[in-house]
Amino acid sequence: MSNSTVNLDKGMLLKVDNISISFGGLKAVDELSFDIKEREIVGLIGPNGAGKTTVFNCITQFYDADTGTVLFNNKNNETVNLNDLKVTNIIKEGLVRTFQNVELVADLSILDNVLIGAHTLYKKGIFSHILKTKKACKEEEEYRSKAIEVLKFMGIDHLKDQYAGGQPYGILKKIGIARTLISDPKLIILDEPAAGLNDVETEELCKLILNIRDKFDISILLVEHDMGFVMNVCDRICAISFGKFLAMDTPENIKNNPIVQEAYLGKDDD
Amino acid sequence: MEGKKRKSRLIGQIKNKFSKNIYYRFTAFGVLLSLIPLLSTVGIMKVSTVSLFAYIIIFTIVAMGLNILIGYSGLISLGTAGFVGFGAYGVVYFYGHGIPYEFAALITLLIAALIGIFIGLFSLKVDGVYLAIATLAVGEIFSQVFKKVTWFTNAYGGVHFKFPKLFGVLQLQKSTMFIFLVVMMVLFMFIMYNIVHSRTGRALMAMSRSDSSAQAMGVSVPRYRLIAFIIATLFATTGGILYASFFRYVQPLDWNLMLTLLVLAMVVVGGVKSIIGTFLGVFVIYGVPTLWLEDLFAGTEGIAYIFSGVLIIIVVMFYPNGAVNVFQDFKKLYKKYKNGELKIKVKKGQKANE
Repeated sequence: MSNSTVNLDKGMLLKVDNISISFGGLKAVDELSFDIKEREIVGLIGPNGAGKTTVFNCITQFYDADTGTVLFNNKNNETVNLNDLKVTNIIKEGLVRTFQNVELVADLSILDNVLIGAHTLYKKGIFSHILKTKKACKEEEEYRSKAIEVLKFMGIDHLKDQYAGGQPYGILKKIGIARTLISDPKLIILDEPAAGLNDVETEELCKLILNIRDKFDISILLVEHDMGFVMNVCDRICAISFGKFLAMDTPENIKNNPIVQEAYLGKDDD
Repeated sequence: MEGKKRKSRLIGQIKNKFSKNIYYRFTAFGVLLSLIPLLSTVGIMKVSTVSLFAYIIIFTIVAMGLNILIGYSGLISLGTAGFVGFGAYGVVYFYGHGIPYEFAALITLLIAALIGIFIGLFSLKVDGVYLAIATLAVGEIFSQVFKKVTWFTNAYGGVHFKFPKLFGVLQLQKSTMFIFLVVMMVLFMFIMYNIVHSRTGRALMAMSRSDSSAQAMGVSVPRYRLIAFIIATLFATTGGILYASFFRYVQPLDWNLMLTLLVLAMVVVGGVKSIIGTFLGVFVIYGVPTLWLEDLFAGTEGIAYIFSGVLIIIVVMFYPNGAVNVFQDFKKLYKKYKNGELKIKVKKGQKANE
């Protein structure tokens, strides 16, 4: 699996090295590099159209980056180059993402939606499911209770049998996060987790994200427009503009960084 | 007193099992259906009605396959009739070459699955309307093969078959063959239920609602599209094999687009994603016109089609999730009646008290 000759340093989880991607003539991401340490919460910020979601898509292999490598220290503590992997195999390495617009199955129960996140953990195939072999039932039972546990952690286990469709946006976001947690990840990528939430919900999410890091011992990479939220929750922040790296530092330093300020103020002048 | 208590407890237990365990319900439904040949022997039911129910049972299996494809994986196939026909011709052909019934059926299913994979590969490239057209072409190819490839289908002459002997010992007659059909239908209901309530069913639904979200969760879209098509194909082909086994005559003109569209209508009218709804759909689309309307409007050709057309419009308007929801409305009505919220019914109740 690990064709990469480079190994990540100890304590390092993800290293995005020099990735670029262009669509037609537009360079959406331009020689971007940054890294995430273990148990670290990193925010990716930038003005609209800075290419934040594109960076996510390059890391999770929805897009193939034109150049560069994305090294990741996977579940078995081996360094893998994610660029060598198919998009559906990324979750097996311990990296899982949510989506900006949640993308749940409306006509499945909340519990079943969470179980979709456990898809790659199942070992039994379709035939043992059809025959309902003992092992298959046991496996299903096992992940069902695991899903309930995750939902309990998220504080929405009382809703588990309701359909996901029609739930308020805050709940949907929580289901989205719950379903990443069930896959035993090492790194979760959250695409605008606070978008569409009110102040109370945002505050709650803030606590939740810190809790997730502490309880599950995982790192989190997130894109968010709510600056207050990002400053509160993140250990370090990476700022980009037009696909280019601006700075990566603690929230305090990022706030006072003249280059970052210019990028944001420049946008205001448009 | 003691006996009464025990009896009520027993009833309670049975009731509990039925409400909790869907397998009991399917089985009970199957047992009820398998009484139909008995009704005809006693003379309550016409012999032709037994055949009608056989047809309904067979097409319930076919429609369940399409239901998985449409309802769960969000794909479409207009080649259903072709596969039913292939199943019917296939089992006759292989049986005619000296292969035992069970193996002839297995070989037919295997070939059909391979063709299913082939269509599944289409679906990796095209979506929606284009997929419908591609599968339509496959159905049309089948239809032409049935008419032209004489060594396989005997062209317009059709092929004859006989009631199979199961495992070389159990010679089926008309009534036992009917029970065999029911057993198969209940079996396929179990299969469908188990598939859709497993990891596979969830993966199919995740894939149909959002490709990218499914991929992020590790669901391989090509793989599950293939699986969906294989399942639908196998259900349809099984239907065909059973058709040949029960009706013992297969002719080429039956397997046309009209039949495919009727199966589609059965799924939509009965209830997408519902197993019992599928049976209901088949019964309403095929059973009702044949059972009652054709006698009522004797001599009016195509009354069945008019009926199905009107019905589809009504169902889509009032029960967009399928006619199976009618039962739930009845339940609600019954609850209202029990709570005395229904005025007309309450008056009736008062009269009874007087």
